[in-house]
Amino acid sequence: MVRIGVFVCQCGKNIARTVKTSEVAEIASTWPGVVHTEDYKYLCSDPGQNLIKDAIKQHKLTGVVISACSPKMHEATFRKAVESAGINPFLCEIANIREQCSWVHDDISIGTPKAVDIIHMMVEKVRFNHPLESINVPVTKRALVVGGGVAGIQAALDIADGGCEVVLVERDPSIGGHMAQLSETFPTLDCSQCILTPKMTDVKHHPLIDLRTYSEVVEVEGFIGNFKVTIKQKPRYVVEELCIGCNDCVDACVFKKPKVPDEFNEGLGKRKPVYIPFPQAIPQVACIDPNTCIQLKTGKCKMTCASACPKECIDFEMTETFEEVEVGAIILATGFKLFDAKRIPNYHYGEFDNIYTSLEMERMVSASGPTEGRVLLKDGRTPESVAILHCVGSRDRKNNAWCSKVCCMYSLKLAHLIKHSTGADVFNFYIDIRAGGKSYEEFYDKVLEDNVQFIRGRAAKVVDWDLEPLEDGKVVVHAEDTLMGHRRRIPVDMVILSVGMEPHEDTAALSKIVNCSVSSEGWFLERHPKLAPINTMTDGIYIAGACQGPKDIPESVAQASAAAAKALALFSSDELTRDPTVATVNEINCIGCFSCERVCPFGAIERHEIRDRDGNLIRTVARVNEGLCQGCGPCAAICPSKCISIAGITEEQVYAQLGAV
Amino acid sequence: MARIGVFICHCGENIARSVDCPGLVDEAASWPGVVHSVDYKYLCSDPGQNLIKDAIREHNLTGIVVAACSPKMHEATFRRAASDAGINPYLCECANIREQCSWVHEEKEIASPKATDVVRMTVEKTKYNHPLEPIRVPLTRRALVVGGGIAGIQAALDIADGGHEVILVEREPSIGGHMSQLSETFPTLDCSQCILTPKMVEVVQHPNITLYAYSEVEAISGTVGDFKVTIKKKPRYVDADLCTACDDCAQACPVSVPNPFEMGLKVCKAIDIPFPQAVPAIYTLDADACLGLFPLACVRCREACEPGAINYDMKPENITEHVGAVVIATGFDLYAMSNLGEYGYDKYVDVVDGLFFERLLSASGPTAGVVQRPSDHKIPNEVVFIQCAGSREPERHKPYCSKICCMYTAKQAMLYQHKTPGGQAYVFYMDVRSGGRDYEEFYNKALDEGVIYIRGKVSRVYEEDGKIIVQGSDTIAGKQLEVKADMVVLASAMEPSRDTDKLVSMFKLNTTQDGWVKEVHPKLRPVESITQGFYIAGACQGPKDIPESVAQGSAAASKTLGLFSDDELERDPSIAKVNELTCIGCFSCEMVCPFSAIERNEIRDRDGNLIRTVAFVNESLCQGCGPCAAICPSKSIEIESITEEQVYAQIMAY
Repeated sequence: MVRIGVFVCQCGKNIARTVKTSEVAEIASTWPGVVHTEDYKYLCSDPGQNLIKDAIKQHKLTGVVISACSPKMHEATFRKAVESAGINPFLCEIANIREQCSWVHDDISIGTPKAVDIIHMMVEKVRFNHPLESINVPVTKRALVVGGGVAGIQAALDIADGGCEVVLVERDPSIGGHMAQLSETFPTLDCSQCILTPKMTDVKHHPLIDLRTYSEVVEVEGFIGNFKVTIKQKPRYVVEELCIGCNDCVDACVFKKPKVPDEFNEGLGKRKPVYIPFPQAIPQVACIDPNTCIQLKTGKCKMTCASACPKECIDFEMTETFEEVEVGAIILATGFKLFDAKRIPNYHYGEFDNIYTSLEMERMVSASGPTEGRVLLKDGRTPESVAILHCVGSRDRKNNAWCSKVCCMYSLKLAHLIKHSTGADVFNFYIDIRAGGKSYEEFYDKVLEDNVQFIRGRAAKVVDWDLEPLEDGKVVVHAEDTLMGHRRRIPVDMVILSVGMEPHEDTAALSKIVNCSVSSEGWFLERHPKLAPINTMTDGIYIAGACQGPKDIPESVAQASAAAAKALALFSSDELTRDPTVATVNEINCIGCFSCERVCPFGAIERHEIRDRDGNLIRTVARVNEGLCQGCGPCAAICPSKCISIAGITEEQVYAQLGAV
Repeated sequence: MARIGVFICHCGENIARSVDCPGLVDEAASWPGVVHSVDYKYLCSDPGQNLIKDAIREHNLTGIVVAACSPKMHEATFRRAASDAGINPYLCECANIREQCSWVHEEKEIASPKATDVVRMTVEKTKYNHPLEPIRVPLTRRALVVGGGIAGIQAALDIADGGHEVILVEREPSIGGHMSQLSETFPTLDCSQCILTPKMVEVVQHPNITLYAYSEVEAISGTVGDFKVTIKKKPRYVDADLCTACDDCAQACPVSVPNPFEMGLKVCKAIDIPFPQAVPAIYTLDADACLGLFPLACVRCREACEPGAINYDMKPENITEHVGAVVIATGFDLYAMSNLGEYGYDKYVDVVDGLFFERLLSASGPTAGVVQRPSDHKIPNEVVFIQCAGSREPERHKPYCSKICCMYTAKQAMLYQHKTPGGQAYVFYMDVRSGGRDYEEFYNKALDEGVIYIRGKVSRVYEEDGKIIVQGSDTIAGKQLEVKADMVVLASAMEPSRDTDKLVSMFKLNTTQDGWVKEVHPKLRPVESITQGFYIAGACQGPKDIPESVAQGSAAASKTLGLFSDDELERDPSIAKVNELTCIGCFSCEMVCPFSAIERNEIRDRDGNLIRTVAFVNESLCQGCGPCAAICPSKSIEIESITEEQVYAQIMAY
């Protein structure tokens, strides 16, 4: 026989103003099974909690209903109190008569009966409550960081500095990401490589970081604290452990001159089939490109690289390898890709000479770039006029509706650098100048003082036909100058397209592998933009940097450190205590339709085979992975044979609640 | 005999463009004591470092000079390489021939000889270098978080979740900061209180967090890993343990004052709680507003208080706490409206600022979310929003962009139109800055909903026939226009919160010209301050929106957790040392030491009689800054690795 105690809180006047708590307590005492009722000014205060504890002992209560504020506020407080009085904490339930009752009603004649209903429903539910035990799962204190751009690098370093192991996976042959390609960074004009390479070196040398470049995550299983990750190592055809980065293989390659477009230089320079991506690459290891290497394509090469290698580390037989690692947390820092400028045919990118994307321009103005920092036209001349078109592919409902956030500032920076190195006339075609950030507006002011021209209006098209001798040999940018109120034609030698940011191609595939949501645009989705900007919907998986949406470097770095904090907090104890209100399957009734598997947003449903003693398969039934299950309920709702229930919110309990209204 | 190796870096073209590196190698090879010199394209790369390591072993070097970029960049890298090769890392020195030479000179004829001088000076210094061992000091694994807004709350929660104790100090009676005053938040239109209050409650309930609300940091001493902090608890005149937040005292109080949380839109009592969800839920008596405490003029609150929580004799209380790290999250204030007279603030009560308008929009605000103008409580039919009020105006106001105003103005304009049938919002703007996840889309929504955006500055605000006339230019239409408004909302600039300057000088941090707390490096170390052990979170560093402040709060926590991951702290051994034999005990050093690292050591004979008192350096406090060595009249103080001998050797080499 159940013995339920009902405690009604007045919350000062917060509840008592619109709910007659003493009357409610009196009504509750008449319900069957309720053996004790009481109202009190502040149940959450120490005397209030003592009153509950004493009543549990005195009246041998088997269930407790606290009628007070939202369970978000004090469920933990009261369950702890109940536990210390000797009964299972899950036998205590909260009836919310503040946020959902007294605060939203002004009239005591409405508030009081509604509170009675809410409490009555909860009493009926508690009648069917069972003791539950918290689920403890062990935590593997090792993190996986996916992506070795500045966000991934920072996250890995912070976790490693916090004393925990990190596996850093990067798909390219070197870490560094887009930041390694930039010339100088706004607004301080720090050289990007100079500030990034020390961090890259730190990654390489950190004893707690296991760096795996040219690798990809192909499978993730498990749940918070206990992930099993399969990592694919793509073949470099060079043994990483042996290579000393001496470049002898590159010098000896049968290609006497570099002929392959160099990815690092955005195709502005050339490399050989065997190459080290850039001088400061980490790891400093050569890599052979199977698409252009003669030996790998035809098997008919003299293999001069292999014979030149002093460490004999070139191996054309190398194949993909797979390795499984166990980690407790995963940080996704896979970054972004740039908008493909060819998608706007009016700008004729790839057709006219001297039309460059902003990243190509970064390589051109970089001191370590293919032109050693000189801004040059295709014919080797220095441009006398340059147009920078903002918002290429951004703020454009035909392409991407979003603002890519970094383009205004990098366009201003490029304008400044080009102005200083060439003295050319620089025209910016913009919609709004978005210089929000520390010292950003001041940088914009500085560029205005440089005598850089700003024309407010999106460029309509770039054409190569001239109307007057002045335009001879130039391309002409057409735009509406919205401030002057008329159309303008500006002839220039060079056009730079400030292309926007887009989710990386891998994001969709990776989101399926790790079971994380992506937004409609394809960015990784955070749990809450303000309260949990680093967490994903899956516990134990965090996001950092521009894979979540356009971000500049300081934001990516700060977010990466934040992701590291989440991982370190998770790793601060050996075990993780999880709420036991998870789904359970009645395997006897399960018909094996796996409707539950389809609706589960957390991938928590597993298939369990029931076999006879000879090992013959009898049936396959659903089973719940307690580590993954969040107790959200769609499985229970969809199950046609009604064999899934959520501990603490069973069907019996829900009907009991409904019956009480 | 010293065996010095000199390594010259080209840094791609960065150095090689204006310094003749091969010439420098030859020159260096001729100096006495230099047994090896070589140049390389990128010494910081792995092959570059290997080259150094191999040379150390091959030539039995006893000291190395790496001529490259600033030691700030790669000193640690090269010292680690030296250590890997088996020599003491402090025998490696960096000669800065990039930032201080090649970058500032274009001509080879000037840069090359200068680089030669820089390298030779460092070689001479290195000859006198001694092996040093890092100092290990114990670490107090407890953090202080200053400021209980959203950034401070997040930092405190993350550190506490990481298993360490946190002391959170907030000067107001409740935590929550500006975020608790907001109505809804852009771009999701989540109710601000609804998403903030669970975190506030988590703070008080967290077993690792000690909350000192209505308290201020009075003094701090010590250094990273071991700070001693004095916190002043201001008297609430209400016993925190007894108060049940029943409101009886406020009901009884005869004094009404404008409620600062409601921006003065509503009154509260002299004894009151700032807002219903305040954390901690304790009432506070405002001594300035009270009819009088000394002598006692009224005791109605004490009479009304059932638990007897009111105590008129409460005094400010100083509490001392020891912490190992400090997170500064002191936030911002709005630029005072009184500075914005040109928009009619001092003449018309219906000209208000953004925060005031937030309270008008808030469902829990004084008007329960109905937009009423302050003068006559009428519902305004036309509201003009003026962006960049005080921002982006280097001549008269603030030169910077306050970053959040574009978005909150779009939000306020939209919410106003939602709540006011027939209401029309106008926005004067310069650029619409809606960079951020879903921000552009949000701005588009405001446009689609009929908010009228006018690109231009407002030139004049005046009253005519009961309307406020806003005159401005429409730079797109290319003409002047006037909008007749019932109410004007200024998106005022953000500025560092009051007293940030005091705190900053107490903590010995840097600020920007505008008073924002400065980070070590905007990209690489955005949450670290120049003083070790102090981390920065939120808008005290510059204008930031909520997601950025939350991320930065977590980032500051991450740095703190990193620092606390070890029991001991490794410190640079380049600190001051006293020669006790020659010290005359004048303690001039004590006077000039900015870190209070000089202690007095008594030298006694075997019978315990005092012979002399000499200076002694506390190595966990000393930062090796040098004024003590400079002022010492008997030349008995030296800084390890920057001894007088070394400084003179450098000068002589020039």
